[in-house]
This record gives sequence, structure tokens and C-alpha cells, in this order.
Amino acid sequence: MKIIKIFLITVLSSVVLVSCEVEDGKDLNGPSTESISSDLSRGELRDAVFGILSDMRTRLGTQVDGQAVAGREYWRVASSDPRWTADLLTGTLDNNTFYTTNPYASRYATVKDVNLLLEGLANTTETFTAEEVAGIRGFANTIKAHELLMVLNQQFENGIRVDVADPQNLGPFLSYDDSLTAIFNLLADAATDLSNAGSDLPFSLPSGFSDVSFLEFNNALAARVEAYRGNYASVLTLLGNSFMNMSGDLSTGAYFTFSLDGADIANPLFFALNSTASNVRLAHPTFLNDAEAGDTRVSKVVLRDSPITVNNENNDQLVGTHDVFVFTSNTASVPIIRNEELILLAAEANHITDPTAAVAAIDVIRTAAGLGTYASTGLGTSPAELVTEILRQRRYSLYAEGGHRWIDLRRFGRLNSDLAGSIDRPGDAIFDRFPTPANENR
Amino acid sequence: MKKRTHFSKMKILLLLIFAPAILLAQETITGKVVVEGTGEGAPFMNIIEEGTNNGTSSDIDGTFSITVSTLPVNLRVSALGFSEKVVNVTTAGDITITVSESSESLEEVVVTGLATSVKRSNAANAVSSVSAEDLAGLTPPQTLDGALAGKFAGALITKSSGAPGGGIAVKLRGVTSINGNSQPLYIVDGVYVNNNSISAAGLNSVSGAASGGNPSSQDNPSNRIADINPDDIESVEILKGASAAAIYGARAAAGVIIITTKKGKQGKTKISFSQDFGFNTIIRLRGQRNFTEATAEGTGAGNGALFTAARNNGTLVDYEEEIYGEEGFISNTSINVSGGSENTQYYAGFSNNEEDGIVKNTGYNRKSIRLNMNHSFLEDRAKLSLSSNYIDSQSDRGYFNNDNTTTTIGQSATFTLPWTQLFPNELGIYPDNPDAASNPLQTRDLITNSEDINRFIVGATLDVKLYEAEKSNLKLALGGGVDYYELVTTTIFPKLLQFQKPGNGGINGVSALGTTENKDANYSAFLVHNYTTDSDLNFRTQGGVTKQTFYRNTVGNIATDLIGFETNLDQGANISVNQFRQEQEDQGFFVQEELNYQDKIIGTLGVRGDKSSNNGDANEIFYYPKASAAVNLHKFDFWKIPVVNQFKIRAAYGEAGNFAPNGALFTTYTNTLIDGVAGIIVPVSPLALGNPDISPERQKELEVGFDASFLDSRINLEFSYYNKTVDDLILRSNIEPSSGFTLEFSNAGNLENRGVEVSVNADVIEGDKFNWNSNLIFFTNESEITKLDVDAFNLGGFGAGLGTFRIEEGKSATQIVGNDANGNLVVLGDAAPDFQMTWSNNLSYKDFTLSFLWHWKQGGDNINLTNLLSDFGGTSPDFDDIDLDPAGVTPNGPFRVGAFGSGNATPFVEDASYLRLREVGLYYNLSSKIREKVFGKYVSNFKIGFSGNNLINIFDYNSYDPEVSNFGSNGLSTGVEVTPFPTSKRYLLHLAVDF
Repeated sequence: MKIIKIFLITVLSSVVLVSCEVEDGKDLNGPSTESISSDLSRGELRDAVFGILSDMRTRLGTQVDGQAVAGREYWRVASSDPRWTADLLTGTLDNNTFYTTNPYASRYATVKDVNLLLEGLANTTETFTAEEVAGIRGFANTIKAHELLMVLNQQFENGIRVDVADPQNLGPFLSYDDSLTAIFNLLADAATDLSNAGSDLPFSLPSGFSDVSFLEFNNALAARVEAYRGNYASVLTLLGNSFMNMSGDLSTGAYFTFSLDGADIANPLFFALNSTASNVRLAHPTFLNDAEAGDTRVSKVVLRDSPITVNNENNDQLVGTHDVFVFTSNTASVPIIRNEELILLAAEANHITDPTAAVAAIDVIRTAAGLGTYASTGLGTSPAELVTEILRQRRYSLYAEGGHRWIDLRRFGRLNSDLAGSIDRPGDAIFDRFPTPANENR
Repeated sequence: MKKRTHFSKMKILLLLIFAPAILLAQETITGKVVVEGTGEGAPFMNIIEEGTNNGTSSDIDGTFSITVSTLPVNLRVSALGFSEKVVNVTTAGDITITVSESSESLEEVVVTGLATSVKRSNAANAVSSVSAEDLAGLTPPQTLDGALAGKFAGALITKSSGAPGGGIAVKLRGVTSINGNSQPLYIVDGVYVNNNSISAAGLNSVSGAASGGNPSSQDNPSNRIADINPDDIESVEILKGASAAAIYGARAAAGVIIITTKKGKQGKTKISFSQDFGFNTIIRLRGQRNFTEATAEGTGAGNGALFTAARNNGTLVDYEEEIYGEEGFISNTSINVSGGSENTQYYAGFSNNEEDGIVKNTGYNRKSIRLNMNHSFLEDRAKLSLSSNYIDSQSDRGYFNNDNTTTTIGQSATFTLPWTQLFPNELGIYPDNPDAASNPLQTRDLITNSEDINRFIVGATLDVKLYEAEKSNLKLALGGGVDYYELVTTTIFPKLLQFQKPGNGGINGVSALGTTENKDANYSAFLVHNYTTDSDLNFRTQGGVTKQTFYRNTVGNIATDLIGFETNLDQGANISVNQFRQEQEDQGFFVQEELNYQDKIIGTLGVRGDKSSNNGDANEIFYYPKASAAVNLHKFDFWKIPVVNQFKIRAAYGEAGNFAPNGALFTTYTNTLIDGVAGIIVPVSPLALGNPDISPERQKELEVGFDASFLDSRINLEFSYYNKTVDDLILRSNIEPSSGFTLEFSNAGNLENRGVEVSVNADVIEGDKFNWNSNLIFFTNESEITKLDVDAFNLGGFGAGLGTFRIEEGKSATQIVGNDANGNLVVLGDAAPDFQMTWSNNLSYKDFTLSFLWHWKQGGDNINLTNLLSDFGGTSPDFDDIDLDPAGVTPNGPFRVGAFGSGNATPFVEDASYLRLREVGLYYNLSSKIREKVFGKYVSNFKIGFSGNNLINIFDYNSYDPEVSNFGSNGLSTGVEVTPFPTSKRYLLHLAVDF
């Protein structure tokens, strides 16, 4: 049985052979999230910061389109996805499809980017100065607040989760008011941090932020949140610390920038003039019909060579004659917040306590749009009349750049009344919020 | 599928038992062994006096001489590659013995160990085999995996694209994985062969198919097993589940397909040449909507007048016919040379397959060169086998499947109204399509989407008998192989295209080049020991080690905003690059003990251990045991049923693994860019939270069954039942999106498949002139998710409003759910068929052979969105019919659009049953008399014939073909249809000559 012995030895040795080490697999295609969250280095700081700013743009088109269609600013037509002209006009929304889930998940993905950065900052072994730490934290929380506000704008009284740092242990859903408060507190803390950050942040920012200081940007966002909460006194204080300038360029502000380079993305809100029904944004007919004579802002829409007709199953038609043309190229920048909105926020904050200041602010906008002063319209300065005027100016000034109209009408309780005349087809309806995604398992 | 030739063997057995005692005497028989059909001498045939050790072999011309002790005598004539024959000789002197060539005799053994095989009659599993004749003899298949459809029990084989060059999903015995690999492992002559589907760079950036968050397996790529030339294949063995495949351990859960290529035979050099010519055409056109002026007006104001004018001028265009109406030319040329001496045999083959698609500018070309060598040395104690294969394959895939930009040829065509003029003018300028973002004729004529593969597959095995004695022997088996390929994908969308023009919002041309380098290698070393006791109990022990390495590097370069009409990557304003790398190393060992008691009882015990760099802990060894037993009842003395000449009962159990998919272990940042500065973000798609503790899936399969042969093996019946469970399912399940991720990986469920496989083979008629062999296969599979630790979740498809798959405890793994008219989520169907049945027949009359294969798939549902898309375009052929609305009021087009609008998925889930004549062939073999008159002695075989694929197709399914898959070949969600590349039927003429 010598053979058997030899054989057994061979079998044993082969088992030994197998016991030689196999190296652990590595992720060859990118850094793991742990590389940031476990220890943020100075070299990684810029990667994380630019990643966050870049990620803010993900699915921006879907979010803005959803809100703009809901607020009847325009119709979004996509022949390969007709839910744009079905669900979003009928108001029968799906809690598990792209217009609900994509913007929601994308905004929270940016929040995740921010939380990983904050975690890395807490665990860092890098020698960041106290000013640098404050600057990074102030930046991160400002962006986080903006992203949460974007989610809340769609979710409205569904409320949102604010504490989402641990995927396995997510925080509770807060009410709409509590969510706004939490967002405001984030901004306020960030403002404190930013004011302690010294003269320069420890990283550069993209060109979209070159017009304004980051603290001014923070204060502008906070003013928007306070206006949403109705805290008008606070709005005025914050505007004073922002980049608002009554006599300045209305377009001054913070912007998302786009390019066609490499991993960058193109402006998702741009379509060429006279695009086919495959993918087009058609101005809602009321935009032109409701415009005051002489308003130059009607140039935001352009007459098409031929109209586009969209049929639904009952053969009710939408006929679009004008293209939305706010962004005129696929690399045009998209405002995050700009002077024109701030001036209108000032008008709003003053409309009860100081109608004269409110009218002055309104007139800045009216003049820029080629219109006569508010006084020349003969309308009064009661709060109700001024709100109507402010909403009207916001509609035309901020047209198609952020889905503002739907939010604005909603916060003044005027969605149904103001949009009653904009219902296009039998069966269409107005809705005031997007459903919470099914996978949130509320 | 098996056709066995136990017939003569059984005779031998009976003769052995009943033959009277032998008287002593001396007689000499001389003669010649000739090959049936050719009449040529058969060299090196073994001729043995039945029941003795007395034997001889024929010389190079086939002549032999044998001295026997007495007459009459039975001579058994055999050799590899020929059917065994027993002749009764009553007188001494000259005789002629005719033997027939057979590939079937090779099926006699099936693989049961990594270094061993057993006689099929002793196997404990229903291992399916497909012979060269069954695979490619009837009608030449386009690809190997496609040729397997309908040929054996237990498989669901789906073509994911009709584009020439493949794209096929093979699922063995139901669902084996939800998010992991579900495609079988392919092994060719011992080499692990890669079967990746790699999407072309740049396609998704144009189609935007994945911009809605869906995976970009929607790009219609081919799969790499298509590179193997079916003509080179001698036989295919299919290990369908873990009970047979446990020997392959951690990679074997989806089954193993073992391919053996042709080898040379000792003897005269044989040259075979064959040439096929033919064409393909679309299986079914969907048809055109019958417009009236009123319905045309309904598609848009003013269209009624346009329709009427076009109708009156006779300028209505059938764009479906225009695009899919081509007849693609097919030409297959194959030449091979084989032969060899006693020590060295070789097989050298070259083939060139060309096939144009049914859409202009699509097609496939594969050139394959193979050289196989066998060499015996050290007095036949060592045998070296080498197989080498070089393949150059190219395919032009067109531009199809889902998109979000209405630019694919399929989608833009469904939106194009028949009065719209899209043909180029006399200057060659194409008008823009007013109905869609793309002019499909322009897109078809001007784009490039091609794959080009250069591939080497080289393998070697060395068997050495280290020791040999009367009762025992020891063999060393070494093996190794490399599969290396470079895949280049070229995607060009010139700036002339409607959707590339900047004026239309285009990006002024896209040129993309994707390069993949893939290198897989495997090595093994085994020792096999045989020991037979005096009581004829045989122990066979084997043990050894294996190692596999895998390497992939894919680089995609995309240039946009092109300069002039240049296509080089540096001739664009914007260039982006992406890279994907994968490296893996597996090591394992395998030990097995086989016991064989007089071929009556055969038992096997074995275990495989595997570790891999793809596991959370690379050095943790996962063990995969197996055990099986087979009892040949008919070999026992008590067996007294002469009608049943073989009866075997068998049971086998085994376990096998499936690795976590790439990326499951990690949460990886993806790169991004803003304002020229790079950044990192948690990825938008697939947004999966990795899990470093993930362990491989484990499949456990029990198979039981019996094999019975009746009437001297004229009728063979095989029955198997299996129960296959998969534990620790790796699921990419939903997670609350507020976590920043939408999906997370976890081991979170179990599933079970149960099924029955029955096959009956019968020589219905056996005569001198007329023969009829018939083979019937029936199989069915049922799956169930038996445990789910996460919430039920949807996957595949496009959401509950359009029909989606749903993983839910207690339900079928392949259920299709969707919202009904009341908005409730209900089960709308199941992708798994109720049963499948195939019926193949081989009829021969004199020199004519007629063979055909029917394939019936009963049940199994698809999610069909093609009609909905053409409803949006107003072009559906059944747009104005009224048969969907339960109330009988709304025509189908508006009904489907309305259902879509209200989120009702009911009309989109359709029964995908079919009955099809998968293959049919009629051949004529020139009889030897005529052949010799015409060609003299130079030609040994001359065959002509006609064949076809899919010539008859019967189905209710409301589109081109129920066999379709928008999401490619892997994963669960085959059977989703979004304007695919339609499948085709093929007609071919054949000529085959052997010299």
C-alpha cells in the first residue's frame, strides 16, 4: 500500500498548496466611501467639496420640470415617457417612479456626500486649523440645508427626514414646519461657522460662486427659508447680510455651471428651439396670455416654427406654440439663488409693515422688465393686492428656473384659485405635493 | 438529449449470458472493415472475439486477420468514433464488416469528476449531452448557445436580440440567482471560457436608456460565448444543477456547460469541406395601422390632409418594411483536415461565417481557426492534448432597444407616420423627421455600432500513468488554459444626424471607442487512483488542486462635438474617459471517492473547497460537498423482465456556489466634474450600499430519477425530479432613499426550484431503407422565494405602472406584478413557462435524411411595451381594433395609452407561449455508386441539402417574437420588450464534401 501512502501525501500536500494566501479583493474602480469618512485628508477635501457641488445638479432637470409642470409654467413633453403629460397634469402621482424618486434620492445622495465629509472632518488626523474646520463645516451644512429644502419643496406637508447620517438607523420624519425650522437652524449654525472661518475657505469654489461670498450665499438661502416660514423681520436682516443689491445686476447670484467636458454634465434644462415631441418644453399658454403688455420677460418663450400637439387617451389635446428658452445653450448656468429673487423677497418681507419699501422693490423689477411703475397700474397697496403683484412678478422673473411658482402659490394658499384657469383638459387637476417614495417605508 | 446505442451492447450482454460453452478448435477469419456510406477501409479498428481476450486490429487499409478457436463466433468491432458492431461469423475465410461513423459513441461517458468520467449507464445524474450532429448537423446555428435551444431538458434559452452575432440568455433549471450571475459556466476542452456581455462605450450616452435609473444592459451587446464556432464542437455536456456541478464548486451554481471540440483520428488524412448559402428574413412584421383621413387627423392637426394627399399620390411609406424588410445574406464556409498516426493525431479547422441582418448595415462575421493535437508517448503511458483556437469576430449591431431620447432606430420608427417622407434627396441629404427626434433611415444608414473581437483560447492537458498494476493504477492529470481577448467597440454618431445637429439640441457628433482586455486563466493538478478488489469492487480516488485567475480592463473613450467628419477621438471638443477593472483569483481543491460494484451499484462521495478574492474574507474556504448513487437493477440476477432491458435508479445531491456580483463588497465613490475640477460623489446609479460581510450564494440540489430501456433499447425513457434551493441569496434590495442610497446588498433570502424532466427516445422504425428515430422531451420548473429578510421589492421592468418583476416571500421568483385598473398591485403573470416540450425527429430513406425539431413553450409572460410606444406614435397596427377594453368601447391604442396614464399595467403583460419549428433539414447523400462514377475515388462523401431555422412560428404574442429581452442576457428580467431588433428566420442551402 505504498501507493496509497504516496497518494494520501499528495492529497494532503495539495490541500496545503491551497492554503497559500489569496489576497483580499480590492475595489479597483474608485475610492471607497470609507476613505473620506474615516479620515479626511487635505488632498481629499477638494475632491469631496467639488463632488458635493457637482452632485447638487444631479436630476436637477427632473426636479425643476416636475415643479414647473405642477405650477403650470410649461408642459414637459417626452414621447418615450408620456407620464410627463399624464400623471403630472392629472395629479395622479406614482410614489415609485422617476419624477418622485429620482430628485428625492439625488438630493439625499448629496446629503450623504455632505455627511461623509462631516464624518471625515470629525475623524480627521490632518492638521486643519480651527478656522479651516469652521469653514468646511459651514460650507457642508449650508449645502445640506439647501438640499433638504429642495426635498421639502416637493414633499411639503409630508415632511422629511433630516437626520440621515446612519443608513441603518434613519431619523424620524419631521412635520413641514419642523423641517423648515431644522433647515433654518442648519443654515444659522453654518453662518456662525462661516463667520469664524477667516477670510478664505480652505478650498476654492467653482465659477458659479465667484460673484458672491459663501456667507452671503448662506444668508440669501436663509432669507428664502425665513420667507417660507413667514418670519419677515428675519428675512430683512438676512437680506441685509446677503448679496442683495437694489441697484445691482438682477442676475448676480450663485449658479450651477455646466460643461460638456468629460465627467461633467450638460445643462438638463436646455432644449434647442423647435425640438420635436421627443423631448421639448412647451410654454403653458397662460404665460403669454397673462403677461402685462410690454413685459420684456415674455422673451423667455419663443414662437415655434410649427406647434406641437399632444393627445391623451380621450383625444383631448395640448397644443404648444412656444418653446421655453430661458437657458439658451447646453452649457448655460442655472441660478441657485440670485439678486432678482432677493429683491422680491425684500418686497414680500415689507408688504405688510412697509408697503412703500415693498413697492420700491417691486418697481426695481418692473423697470427692469420694461414696465411702468406699480403706481402706474393704479392698483392699491393693501397686503392682498401687493401679494398678488409680488406673486405675478415672481412668476415672470423666476420663470422656468426652479419651479418657484408652484411653491409660491402653495405658501399663499392660492394654488387652486390661481391655477383654476390653467387646467387644460377634463380630468386634469392641481396637486400640492409629491408623494413620499414608496421605499421610504413610512 | 441523448440518443444511445446500447442496442448492440445489450445484444453482447445477452450473448454473454446465453452463449453456449465454447469448443476448442482453430479457424482463421480474414476480411476488411469498411465505413458505411463511403465504402472506404476503416483502419485501426479493434476486432475482438466475443467473450475472450483474443483480438486484433485492422491495418491502415482496414484489412484484418483473426484466428479463433471455433465457429460460429461473434466478433465485436469497435473504435472511437464508430458505432460498436457485433457480427456473427459462421464460416472461415473472407468477410466484409461494415461499420458506421458515430459521434454518439462518444456520449458513452459523462463527466463526474474534475479528472474523471464514467459510462453514462453508470451515471447518477441525468447529464444532458448534445452531439455534434444535434448541435450543428441539422442546420448551421449562428451561435453555440442559440444552437442549444430545444435540444435538452431543463433550459430556458432566450434570444435577447435578433441582431446577428448573438445575445442569448441560458437559464438551467429555473432561477439560480436574483442579482448575481445566472448564466452557466462554459468550459471548452478544460479552459474556463469567458461569456461576458460588454456594452459599447458611448451608446448609453446617446440613447439615455439608463438616464431614468435603469441599468445600461439595454445596449444590445452580444455575449462572448458566441465566439465559439459550433462546427468545431464534438459534444456538449450540460451539468444543470449543483448535484452534478458541485465539482466546479464556487462558480457552478448556474450550471456548467462542458464543450469538447473535435479531435483527429488515427488513420488516413480526411479533408472535409462544406459551404452554406442562404438568407434570413424577419419572422413576423407587426404591420401597419389602417389610417383614414379622420384617424390621421387624430394624430395631429393637418395630418388628415397630408395622409389623403400621400395616399392619392401613392407615397405612403411602410417604414417597418423599409427598415426590417431586408433579406440578409448568409454564407458559411468550413474546411477541416484531420488524421494522424498511432501516437499523434490532429484536427485543424478553419471556418468563416458571414451573416447580414434584416436591417441594413447590420451583420456578423466570424473567422475561426482551430488546431487540436493529441500525442501519446512514454509507451502510451502519457498523453498530451493541446487545443488552440483563434477567433476574429465582428458584428454590426445597429441601434435598438430602450431609449429616453426617441433616437433608436426601433423607437423613432414607431413614431414615424406613413405620410412622412424621410428618404434622402438626390444630393443624399436626409430630411429631419417631424415625428421623432431621429430620422430612422438616416440613423440606420449613417451610424456605426460595431464590436470587433480578437480572441485566443488555448488549453493543454497532460495525463501520465505513474503506476500500473493488475489491480490498481495511479494517474496524474495536469491541465491549464488561457482565454484571452481584446474587444473593441466602435460607436459613431456623425454630426449629420438629426439628433446630433446643434440646432436640434444635439452635441454635434459622437465618436466612442471602447477597449476591453480580458484574460482568464485556469490551472489544475490531479491524481487519480484506481483499485479493484478481487470481488470486482472498484475504488477510484481522486484529489487535486485548482486555481483560476480573472482579469478585465475596459476603457471607454467618448468624444463629442466632432471636428468636420472626423472620427478619431482627438478630433472632438469634449472627450470623456471611463475605465472599469476587475481582478479575481480563486483557489480550490477537490477530492472524490467513487465506488463501483460490478457496474451494479455505483456510489460517489466528494467535496470541493474554494476560496476567492471576491469574498469578504479572501482566505475563508467554502466547502461544497456532493454524494450520489446509481443502481443498475437490470444487472442483478433477480431482474426477470426481458422487455425492460435496462433499469437504473439514481439519486444525487450536491452543493455549489455563486459569487457576489462585482461591487457588492464595497461602497464606491464615482467621479464627477464641475468647472473643470474633479470630485467624488456617491453614485447615482446603481446607488448601492456595499456590504463587506457578504458571503457567496449556496445552492443545494437533490436530483432523483430513473432510466429505463425497453425492447432491446429501442425505446429509452429518462425521468428526473429535482429540488434545488438557493440559500443566502445576494439581493440588491431597496433601502430608504433618504439614506443617500437606493439599493443595498445583503444575503437576505432563500429560493427553491422544483422540476420534472422527462425524455423519451425511440427508434420507431428500423429497416434497411427506412429509419425513423424520434425524441420527445418534456420539462417544467416551479420556483418560490421561500424566505426574504428584506421587504418585498420590484426589479427589472419599468415600475408597477408598466409591469415589473417582484421578489416576494412565498411567491414565484419570476412573478410579474403591476397595478390593475383599480390601482391595486396584483400578479399579472409569470415569466417562467408552465412547461416546455420539444420533439425532434430523424427520418432517413435510402440516401435521404429529413430531420426536424419542434419546440413548444407553454405559458410564460412578457412585458411588452413596443405596442405602447407605437400607440404614442399613433402607428400601432391594432390601434383602431377593439379587443382589449373589457367594456368593448375604447380602441386598443387609446386603451393602452389610457391604461398607461392611469398606471394600469394589465394590457402590457402578455402570454409569450410559442410553438415553433426551430430547425428543419433535408439532406441527400450521394450514394457511393454515383459518387464513384462522378468523382472517382477522390471523394468519400458528398452531401447536399436544405435547412431552415424558425420557419414556422405559432404564437398569439402581439409583436415580432415572444423570445426577447430588453435587459440583455443576465439577471432575472428577460422577457421585457422595448422596440427590439426583431428576430429572423433563416433558409440555407448546403454542400458538404469529404476527401
